[in-house]
Amino acid sequence: MANSNLPRRIIKETQRLLSEPAPGISASPSEDNMRYFNVMILGPTQSPYEGGVFKLELFLPEEYPMAAPKVRFLTKIYHPNIDKLGRICLDILKDKWSPALQIRTVLLSIQALLSAPNPDDPLSDNIAKHWKTNEAEAVETAKEWTRLYASGA
Amino acid sequence: MGNIGSSSSGGRRRRSHHHHHLQANQVVPPAPPPPPPQPAAPPEAAGNRYVFAAATPYPPPPQYTPPPHYYQYSAYYPPPPPPIPAPLPAPYDHHRAGDLGWVPGGRYPCGPPPTSLMPYVEHQKAVTIRNDVNIKKESLRVEPDEANPGHFLICFTFDATVDGSITVFFFAKEGFDCNLTSTKEKVLEPITVSFKGGLGQKFRQPPGTGIDFSMFEEQELRKEGEMEVYPLAVKAEACPPNDNGLTGENQKLGGLNSQITQAVFEKKENGEYHVKVVKQILWVNGTRYELQEIYGIGNSVDGEFDGNDPGKECVICLSEPRDTTVLPCRHMCMCSECAKVLRFQTNRCPICRQPVERLLEIKVDDGASMVQQYGGRHLEMTNNAPTADVEHKPEGQEIPAI
Repeated sequence: MANSNLPRRIIKETQRLLSEPAPGISASPSEDNMRYFNVMILGPTQSPYEGGVFKLELFLPEEYPMAAPKVRFLTKIYHPNIDKLGRICLDILKDKWSPALQIRTVLLSIQALLSAPNPDDPLSDNIAKHWKTNEAEAVETAKEWTRLYASGA
Repeated sequence: MGNIGSSSSGGRRRRSHHHHHLQANQVVPPAPPPPPPQPAAPPEAAGNRYVFAAATPYPPPPQYTPPPHYYQYSAYYPPPPPPIPAPLPAPYDHHRAGDLGWVPGGRYPCGPPPTSLMPYVEHQKAVTIRNDVNIKKESLRVEPDEANPGHFLICFTFDATVDGSITVFFFAKEGFDCNLTSTKEKVLEPITVSFKGGLGQKFRQPPGTGIDFSMFEEQELRKEGEMEVYPLAVKAEACPPNDNGLTGENQKLGGLNSQITQAVFEKKENGEYHVKVVKQILWVNGTRYELQEIYGIGNSVDGEFDGNDPGKECVICLSEPRDTTVLPCRHMCMCSECAKVLRFQTNRCPICRQPVERLLEIKVDDGASMVQQYGGRHLEMTNNAPTADVEHKPEGQEIPAI
């Protein structure tokens, strides 16, 4: 994949992500494809994901920033808006995308989604059902999964 | 799904630093205020809503003849081209079953793209109109008149490039050609004070001429109901620079150039009143302009652009300075090149997602000194009737800091 002709916007965003990373978030471009980012998000405090280190991949399509980045969790996570394949149900990644948003804001939004699961608009029906019928138990499962899969070890 | 981007979770929009409100002006024809109550402009009229004094890139129409009362440039518009189908990016729909993976550079599994035709969006260039006297509307306030307990005096800061006069009207009604009359002249007479040219001047109404709020009903002071009388109107008039025939010309064009600031008095919780500006009007060479705010313009005109300031750069390329405003929402957030690209991708404002009707390019180079002195006031003209035109957005709409 050619890294020449990389839009200035992507170069600037990358520079700023590296020089001023958002708290609890790191994103670095792949060496062979500057549109592909390895991302790590720390589980927010006061959430079932606290203490976890979640890996994601982020790709900037050709149309970016007119089209949203593609983002997916690589670390297994128990969350009503994230499915078993790591796909994320988040409006700004779909119909609410705006070119004024950036990699940084997208990742901050995902971090916020971890703090505020929305079982009323689920991606994983089973997890959402669990969340709605027995939230305490669902939160326990999410904590357990965080320990099992996102311990960072 | 999560709704980080929806308007209900407005954390992104509520951040108030990076908050620069400056104003652009709209022309309203010198129709006799008060306007008769009339319904809002029908949708089909919206297409002709803004009329800009933009000479380029459109050639003057051969049939152009100036109408008698005000400048109307609607004939500059070329007929809109047929709608262009937008090259929509493939949506990434997680709800749909299918293989998950995307291959960098490859195509994604997707549902049928929403078919929509992009409306034609006009791209206009703004002209700057000189404003000789400007009352800084944030500075407008009342102060107690120590010599007359219970009375309050109108105070504000203003800039003037020429000599002129300021008149404070209480319960003022606007008539033809931006002439103001007081509807309670017997109780509170208009007060006129002359001034010399100069920037950052302080105005304080002479003691003894202030308002005693206890004499009036709260509704009256807040201007509830009756729409045409403003509890406070301040008119700042510029004298012509000299008398060598200019007075005559000004008279011909509808009197002295002036700025009118219309305001209401709002009672705070502690019982004190404060001034809230509702509208500012410019009367320049016989044309009435209404000032409207452009959100984010201050970012682009204050000081130098060094190419690496998140507050000044185009939100799309992050490289060029912002010079294009989206209308009708008035978010100045893009450079003209990105605005051109955006037109073919979406019809939503990048900041607020409202539909885009027009793109207005504001180059600040020509009037740079004026922009800095007067806080970046730019004019755009519309031939709309006042009732259909006035758009007061709630305060607090702003360019989010990203």
